[in-house]
Amino acid sequence: MLRFTLKRLALVPFLLWGIVTIAFFLSHSISSNPLASIVGERNLNNPQIVAAAKAKWGLDESLGMQYLLYLKNLLQGDMGTSFRTRQPVLSDLTTRLPATFELALAALLIGVLLGIVLGMLAARFKGKALDSVIRVLALTGSSLPIFWVGLLFLFLFYATLGIAPGPGRLSARVEPPDFITGFYTVDSLLAGNGPLFYDAFIHLLMPAFVMSLPLLGTVIRMVRAQILQEESADYVRTARAKGLTTTQVLNRHVLRNAITPVVTIIGISIGMLIMGAVLIETIFSWNGIGTYAVESARSLDFPAITGVCLVGGAIFLLANLLTDLAYAVIDPRVRLR
Amino acid sequence: MFGKLVARRPRRALALASTLLLGASLTACSPPTSDEGGGGGSDEIILGRSMDTTTLDLSRNFCDSCQIYNGAVYETLLTATAADAELEPLLAESWEANEDNTEFTFHLRDDVTFADGSPLEAKDVKWSWERLKNIKGNASFMMDGVSGIDTPDEHTVVVHSEYPNSAFFNIASASYMGIINSDVAIENGATADENAESSDEAEQWFMANSAGSGQYVLDSYQEGSSLVLTQNENYWGEEPNFSKVTIKDVADSSSQLQQLQQGDIDVAMQLSFDALDQIEADDNIASEVVPTYNFVYVALSPGAPGAPEALGDPEVRDAIRKAIDYDTVIDAVVAGHADKQSTAIPNGFDGSADLPLPEYDVAAAKKQLADAGYADGFDIDVTFPTFTIYGVNFSTMFQSIQQSLSEVGITLNLNPIEYSAWSEQLGSAGIPMTSVYYAPDHPDTVQYAQYFSRAEGATWGDRAGLPADPKQTDLMADSLAQTGDERLATLTELGQAMYDDAIILPIANPQVILANGTNVEGNNYHITHNIDLEQLTFTD
Repeated sequence: MLRFTLKRLALVPFLLWGIVTIAFFLSHSISSNPLASIVGERNLNNPQIVAAAKAKWGLDESLGMQYLLYLKNLLQGDMGTSFRTRQPVLSDLTTRLPATFELALAALLIGVLLGIVLGMLAARFKGKALDSVIRVLALTGSSLPIFWVGLLFLFLFYATLGIAPGPGRLSARVEPPDFITGFYTVDSLLAGNGPLFYDAFIHLLMPAFVMSLPLLGTVIRMVRAQILQEESADYVRTARAKGLTTTQVLNRHVLRNAITPVVTIIGISIGMLIMGAVLIETIFSWNGIGTYAVESARSLDFPAITGVCLVGGAIFLLANLLTDLAYAVIDPRVRLR
Repeated sequence: MFGKLVARRPRRALALASTLLLGASLTACSPPTSDEGGGGGSDEIILGRSMDTTTLDLSRNFCDSCQIYNGAVYETLLTATAADAELEPLLAESWEANEDNTEFTFHLRDDVTFADGSPLEAKDVKWSWERLKNIKGNASFMMDGVSGIDTPDEHTVVVHSEYPNSAFFNIASASYMGIINSDVAIENGATADENAESSDEAEQWFMANSAGSGQYVLDSYQEGSSLVLTQNENYWGEEPNFSKVTIKDVADSSSQLQQLQQGDIDVAMQLSFDALDQIEADDNIASEVVPTYNFVYVALSPGAPGAPEALGDPEVRDAIRKAIDYDTVIDAVVAGHADKQSTAIPNGFDGSADLPLPEYDVAAAKKQLADAGYADGFDIDVTFPTFTIYGVNFSTMFQSIQQSLSEVGITLNLNPIEYSAWSEQLGSAGIPMTSVYYAPDHPDTVQYAQYFSRAEGATWGDRAGLPADPKQTDLMADSLAQTGDERLATLTELGQAMYDDAIILPIANPQVILANGTNVEGNNYHITHNIDLEQLTFTD
């Protein structure tokens, strides 16, 4: 497995270089003007200001030279400065990634754990009312657009009933914890601030639940189907014959086999959740990488666009590698070479 | 053994998950109060608005939200009143111009300190304004014509202009003309040298720090989230009304309203008129609708590629103006809460009073088109950015205008595009028909002449592709050399010339909803700051 891991890791720089190159040239090929976000509409025809802005942001160089300079700086750990936020892209990403990670991991946790529980229950009570309810939930979670569900939840639970916190990571008058991990729930716990943890946690709950819905639906259906399939296997009959209870058979034997495909889903979902957080982050005013990507794209913020693509690519590559490794750990039949 | 571990992990995880979810579902029923969360006290006010901030560097920024920040943190020598935009002293206690309006002298107060406790001196004014000029940023045009700044003593500043500029005192009240603590800024990489555009390295420092003499200092700024200001402990004047001011980035009107209703924000700054009935019916919200100086306009550019030949005829452009059903358009975009405006000089500014307002007159428009040889009408490609500003959605507005103009045979081919793509076209070849918005930078009419007229060097005159008009060039120069009634008459004449050109057709001068919790009073619209924080207070 070590050899496999090293081989895959050795490929990562080349893949990332490819991603950077494609992102760089694609974003520069659009017939739009990044100067609009720098100098504003009023100064677009002011040659002195346009020239100064081009020089300051390196836009007066040829495209090839801009690319080479970007690569050179990137190799030194400099991802450039955002046209829009006027901050180093690395700093922007460092600030925003933890917010998205926290949201995505919470969604992953809800989607996988709740999905497994509900999938098991659906299989256990196959054909009963509970099974039907869970299957409807799974179908609903998979088919409803999450932006609509998010808006609906906010309108219902926040604006109308007033029983849920509003958008954002914390209540309006609450100060964020000192930056340690960037996860407000974790940092508040590390600071020993219970009320702050509570506030961060309840703010996380609704967006994470909404974000988890597609994953939840998929996991429920997958676990249910796998369990039902495994239940007819010979080893299950043997286990029953040995006198194990239904619960023991399910937990010790069936679940282990049934859960293997879920690992694949988790691997794919990590990347999808993080890079697909755009809608949820927008609706819930969650200042993460998703909103950063959208705003950067809208203002043709080249350094930020390329930076997001680079980080997104790295996350996908890492998630895929971890999935392959997890497969080998969970299922001894899988041998990585 | 491994098998047992694997078998047990899910059970523990499931138990943990169940506990978390159960706990969460219970706790979610009762959000904490501010104090439970460890937040600030009751003298913290939270404003909700969609932030358009890019940089917090005073010499580089240029946006509506920037004006609020600039006004709160930095101070200008003169300031405009919120009520009638009259000039009042702020850092300068008196000011005078020479006879031909080429030399402007400011006498500074001697009791002003910056936030670090150091005194404000004439050198800070000179340095701040020279940096604004040399950094060649978005607001550098404020210093156009300034040839030198002298500081004969610590409390006197003399500004020399290459040409008469009677607008300079008004310009000096613009939020972008604020005064920076030069010593602190220089320590952190700022420079006012002639090559400041390339040698100044302080922009990132200004994103996390401030160096002004205003009531507040920058506490933190997180792009896309919030801008937090705290009280300037060394403020030289009256103590500010709040220990902390947070401007929360709330993207749209409905979110702002929801958060105002739930008490998560105290003031909502960009509410849509669609929700006015709901706002007025809510006992927990106090609201008022007031006029502004902002306007949204249609710009016609006969010289742009693809423009129909007809646009080159001022009679045709005037016919287009007459063929727009303004009341219907204003109803469609801001539920009737806007005024009509004659030309690109907002209602209330010098020179606007005696100009004719546009009137919807289909018959007259048809006749003018027929007389010009376009009885069958023509097509125009309309390219505009897809956004909503001051409550006006450009797509809705153009759909309504499209319907109006179809009555006289003019077909608008609408092409809504992203702002950056639109900018590319506007900044290069130009666009035959588009729409933009404008908010005043300072209380002087000359900004409109410099931007919208056909005077030499005016932006929209160039974009329209029409030759500069010597008469308008002279009128603008005259207005800058004059004061009082003489100047007012010149500006009115210039306004009439701009009206006759019909390059800029203002569609709406939208009002704004001032909405806040009932425990807030003093909400206002300010000409150069958008909102004057000094007037805001809590009632309890």
